[in-house]
Amino acid sequence: MSTTNWVSRAGFGLMSLPARVIEPVMSGVQRLIGIKRMPWFFLIPNLTAVMLFALLPVLINVFYSLTGSDRLYPQDRPWVGGRNYETLFDCTNYLDPSTCSRDLFWRALGNTLTFVPIQVVCMIGIALITALCLNREIRGRGFFRGVFFFPVMLSPVVVALTWQWILQRNGALNGIFSAIGLNPVNWLVFPNTAFFWSVFVTVWAHMGFYTIILLAGLQAIPRDVYEAAKMDSASNWRVFTKITLPLLRPVLLVVFILSMIRSVQTFDELYILTGGGPGSATMLMVQYIYEIGFAIQPRNFGLAAAASLLLGAALLVFTAIQLHLSRRAQNG
Amino acid sequence: MAKLVLEKVAKSFGLVNVLPGVDLDIEDGEFVVFVGPSGCGKSTLLRLIAGLEDVSSGDILIDGDSVTHVPAADRGVAMVFQSYALYPHMTVRQNLSFGLENIRMQRPEIERRVGEAARLLQIEQLLERRPKELSGGQRQRVAIGRAITRDPKIFLFDEPLSNLDAELRVLMRIEITRLHERLGNTMIYVTHDQIEAMTMADKIVVLRGGVIEQVGAPLELYNQPRNAFVAGFIGSPRMNFVEGTIGEVSGETFTFTSPDLPAMTLPRRTASLAAGQKVSVGVRPEDLIVSKGKGSGWPVTVSVAEQHGANSYIHCSRPNGEPLLIHQPGQSAVERGDILNVSPVPARWHLFDASGLRIEIEPGQEMAPPILHTAIQ
Ligand SMILES: Nc1ncnc2c1ncn2[C@@H]1O[C@H](COP(=O)(O)OP(=O)(O)O)[C@@H](O)[C@H]1O
Ligand SMILES: [Mg+2]
Repeated sequence: MSTTNWVSRAGFGLMSLPARVIEPVMSGVQRLIGIKRMPWFFLIPNLTAVMLFALLPVLINVFYSLTGSDRLYPQDRPWVGGRNYETLFDCTNYLDPSTCSRDLFWRALGNTLTFVPIQVVCMIGIALITALCLNREIRGRGFFRGVFFFPVMLSPVVVALTWQWILQRNGALNGIFSAIGLNPVNWLVFPNTAFFWSVFVTVWAHMGFYTIILLAGLQAIPRDVYEAAKMDSASNWRVFTKITLPLLRPVLLVVFILSMIRSVQTFDELYILTGGGPGSATMLMVQYIYEIGFAIQPRNFGLAAAASLLLGAALLVFTAIQLHLSRRAQNG
Repeated sequence: MAKLVLEKVAKSFGLVNVLPGVDLDIEDGEFVVFVGPSGCGKSTLLRLIAGLEDVSSGDILIDGDSVTHVPAADRGVAMVFQSYALYPHMTVRQNLSFGLENIRMQRPEIERRVGEAARLLQIEQLLERRPKELSGGQRQRVAIGRAITRDPKIFLFDEPLSNLDAELRVLMRIEITRLHERLGNTMIYVTHDQIEAMTMADKIVVLRGGVIEQVGAPLELYNQPRNAFVAGFIGSPRMNFVEGTIGEVSGETFTFTSPDLPAMTLPRRTASLAAGQKVSVGVRPEDLIVSKGKGSGWPVTVSVAEQHGANSYIHCSRPNGEPLLIHQPGQSAVERGDILNVSPVPARWHLFDASGLRIEIEPGQEMAPPILHTAIQ
């Protein structure tokens, strides 16, 4: 008997072993719960993970948001009802954060409400343009795809430190500025430039991911539909607006929702790059939650939990609206 | 008026020379079918005419004007794609009017044309549906309608029926032929199905490996194939080929021998025959005289007798094992294992030389008209 034969036989034997064990277990379970409920049985591993790491933390968060003090263990925490939420909403004038008892919450909220739309629009716009370029028959397409995807694989800390090194007062960018005779700018010290670079760096770091998704979407559009449009005298602009965009819409929706959720979650890059500064100019919601819950003494778990639940609820509502609108548009 | 002329049109993709150089004239109003095996360059040739690919060299003229460097949209040609290539997000009406909106046609005129095309193709009740809500045949009609609304000089069809089931294919075949009669435009139709070619074409262009093997009317190709390839490709079931050598050549006859078959004396109908020359005799399955038992013809053994009711296809094997097919109208009495004696119907056989070229028959010695019946005698 040849070696390969022996190896393959052994392999086959090993592979059939679990089958021999699993088969009786499965048929036992099936007899116990009935074939209709078997899908649930198969979902158990996945459901367990979701319960343990997603649903349970949410429930724990609800509990913490309804209790007070800086104690960590649940049994030590006194019940305060909705007081944490009242504190967050305690304002004389909702348009002026400084009249609120938790003015940083409102500033972080305002920053997030500015940051997210701007960043998402820039992200999708740039990712779409990049994907459109990469979808053409250009030289070194694979190389460029790699180049744009590369930042996605970097650790956020590396991204932030790299850009800090570029943007700081005596950093690389100012080096170039002074080399060509321009005045160096202290990019991260002024609120507006710090905000601009926050958007820029986060877009730079994540754009490749959405580019790849959009590129896959573009490549799923049949080539002969474009050829038909070409025979139909469609200009490039008409092809883009009347063929590409409508056919890309399901993918754009996915990209929109993913990038929006990701944008609301922005924390690590900016925490290292700007630390939320100058002042609180680039402090977003997640950083506020982190600081109030873990960084500032005494640690206010209840308030942090309440803020994060509000944020989660807002995201949920927004995604639901988006899905509803797009479904209606698709059916209409 | 739309006369299409191809002058030495060549196309290569990188190092692959798909079309070495095609010369072809297509007259106004003709229904021309490009036929050939898969990968022979039919689609490529059609896409060159459409302007979806650029020629590597050569010239394409429509009504005497070179369109080689004219964009696809401005050539006055419309294409029906094999996959239909409908715009999936648009309704049928939008699919039909998109091309007209692109050239900024007036609304009333667009409505008129869409309505007319829809009426012609009987898709009026489908106008508000999306392509995914249509059957294959309906999609096919919409794709043709989209071409019609543009009122092109030349219609191009790339295997438009290959995604339909057999029954629908026959219906659409007839419908496209009727459409051609009504519209009278020049139409170029690509297919690998020689039945479509035979039934629809005014003129068939047989392609192999990017080279035109023969151009002619369907029955012209059937009766006078220029070479063994065309002879084998046109006609279904396929022509039988018996390879062998020429023995004695006398004034009126010659003998043809094949190692496994007895010599056969055939009337000599051409001057260019030499003793010892390698040739093959081509006989269509319906052009065989068949008798049971021994005789002066070729002895073959029946391996399968396919009885279709109105027709019988008798698959035989020669003494060396090579197949030979006999087509007989009506039902046949032969059975598996029977020995049959076959010989070609006089003047209904073809002679090809070693390179596959037809050995021409001298003038006055044309093929006999096809006989209509060759029952077992
Ligand atoms: N875009 C292309 N790039 C490279 N080779 C191609 C391309 N299009 C067609 N070919 C080649 O050209 C030959 C003819 O193709 P095609 O015209 O599609 O054949 P047909 O339509 O007769 O089946 C094939 O060998 C095919 O592989
Ligand atoms: Mg083809």
